Amino acid sequence: MTGPSRRSRPGRRSGTGRRIVLVGGLAVFAIWTVVPIAWILETSVKPNKDLYGEPGILPKTVTAEHYVELFTDTDFLTYFTNSLLVSFGTTALSMVIGVLAAYAVTRLRFRGRRLMGNVTIVTYLIPPALLFIPLFQVAAQFGFTNSTLGLIPIYLIFSVPFCTWLSIAHLQAIPIELEEASLVDGCTRLQSLVRIVVPLLLPALAVIALYAFTQAWNEFLYALILISTDSRKTLPVGLADFVVGDVYNWGPLMAGSAIASLVPVLIYVAAQRWVVSGLTAGATKG
Amino acid sequence: MRSGTLLGRDWRLAWTFLAPLGLIIVALIAYPFAYGIVLSFQHKLIGAPATWAGLSNYTDLLFGEQYGGVFRASVVASVLYTGVAVGAKLVLGMCMALLLNERFRGRTVMRGLLFVPWALPTVIVALTWRWMYEGSDHGLFNLVLGDLFGIGPVQFLADPRWALWSVLLVVIWQGTPFYTMMFLAGMQAIPADQYEAASIDGANVFRRFFHITLPWLRPAIVITTLLSTIWTANSINFIFILTNGGPVNTTLTFPMLAYQIGIQGRELGASSAVSVIFFPLFLVIIYVLTKRMLPADAKAGV
Repeated sequence: MTGPSRRSRPGRRSGTGRRIVLVGGLAVFAIWTVVPIAWILETSVKPNKDLYGEPGILPKTVTAEHYVELFTDTDFLTYFTNSLLVSFGTTALSMVIGVLAAYAVTRLRFRGRRLMGNVTIVTYLIPPALLFIPLFQVAAQFGFTNSTLGLIPIYLIFSVPFCTWLSIAHLQAIPIELEEASLVDGCTRLQSLVRIVVPLLLPALAVIALYAFTQAWNEFLYALILISTDSRKTLPVGLADFVVGDVYNWGPLMAGSAIASLVPVLIYVAAQRWVVSGLTAGATKG
Repeated sequence: MRSGTLLGRDWRLAWTFLAPLGLIIVALIAYPFAYGIVLSFQHKLIGAPATWAGLSNYTDLLFGEQYGGVFRASVVASVLYTGVAVGAKLVLGMCMALLLNERFRGRTVMRGLLFVPWALPTVIVALTWRWMYEGSDHGLFNLVLGDLFGIGPVQFLADPRWALWSVLLVVIWQGTPFYTMMFLAGMQAIPADQYEAASIDGANVFRRFFHITLPWLRPAIVITTLLSTIWTANSINFIFILTNGGPVNTTLTFPMLAYQIGIQGRELGASSAVSVIFFPLFLVIIYVLTKRMLPADAKAGV
């Protein structure tokens, strides 16, 4: 936990040298960050004759044709719906599973509690790429292949351990007295969890939701190898399909990219304050 | 603190609450993991029954004619790719964090902006850069090179001299903000009086950085670097979209090799062996990280 702390202010005695470094450095990073994003937006509104004709950096005319083509001539809307479905499913399940497990690890007395804390972290750290070949077979055994919703259990592998770990870290910082009072008053464990713990855990839950959602929204490798039917694909795989062999359709592709990026970026902007504190729960420890 | 009974006071409820997590860990992580190790000792084509292979998948990769060359290429590519990416993200992330930790007007907006690449889907980032790298004079970089310097189109992704570095630039572009975020959070925890005392002693910017900021950030640096090493080494999206492992295997990192052998070549046994060979490296990192990321009271051994 970062916790409340005084903001450190190195180099407060401002001088010209400091200003030059600050402004110069920020300008370089800002340009570096903005150029690719601007390129997505620019390509999405540039007519084809400008994209592939006489080369030029700035658009001469602006058009909505790529956006229209995206929605009328491609399966973009289907991919978008599929991605929403998978992402919401993964998010809801990750939250429930993570909070329940974290509650057990931090609030209940049982043998194996320390082990579960350990196992949670180890599973969070196991890289997905190490598992994809065997999981490709295992998913077939369980009947998860070529199904949009079948991706949800796969995505839980990557979101649940992190969500549990983060909930554990946050629950440890919440004083236990309130819950004890509610238990004395006759609440069951589940009632106390829902009425007392969950409201106190809201900031952590925001981060968990953000993490699980973007994880599922952005995932590519498993969606690529597990799903073959076009209408069941998610956005990243669907968009990557726009580049077929040597035929590039950059206009609609960048229009689709702009829309697909908007979702995680908006969520992230809305939750920015919590992201930093939540993601770094472990960064200042040990 | 341990209660008297053997299983602990609340064991029934505890394991009920842990059941879904346990199911995921056993069925979807532990089982595939063990199955992957078994596969690596088998000859197994997709859709065909497996036959026992002994160590032949491993010997094929290490010394064989079919896979030996590509496997060695993948070791070189993996080490270069991961090492350069992590090193660059660490340095750039630190610079970005130091700048954003200063007080200036519009700091919140600037932070929001510089973190955006990290929020974008990797596939979209990769596709966008592929279009910027486009080898004709319609791609952004070649447009600029042609207009300003009159240099004919450079094949950023198809030329073996440029491909790995071009991919690395994309990885660094997207990954740096995560480091910045972690370091910024760490910087908030440094007590301001440390810097005040140093200022009174007349310490300059560099002394303050090396004697105060860096030591205080050590835990954040270690955790961030190790986490990022695991993620970077195992990422496949950038390479898959930008170069597909080519040209002449210069960007063939080991997950890409596993994909080529296992999914494109349908040879699951040899492909699993690729992952298994690299796993001990990650085991070391995972061990160190687990000790550092343990919840506080588990560390105390309740």
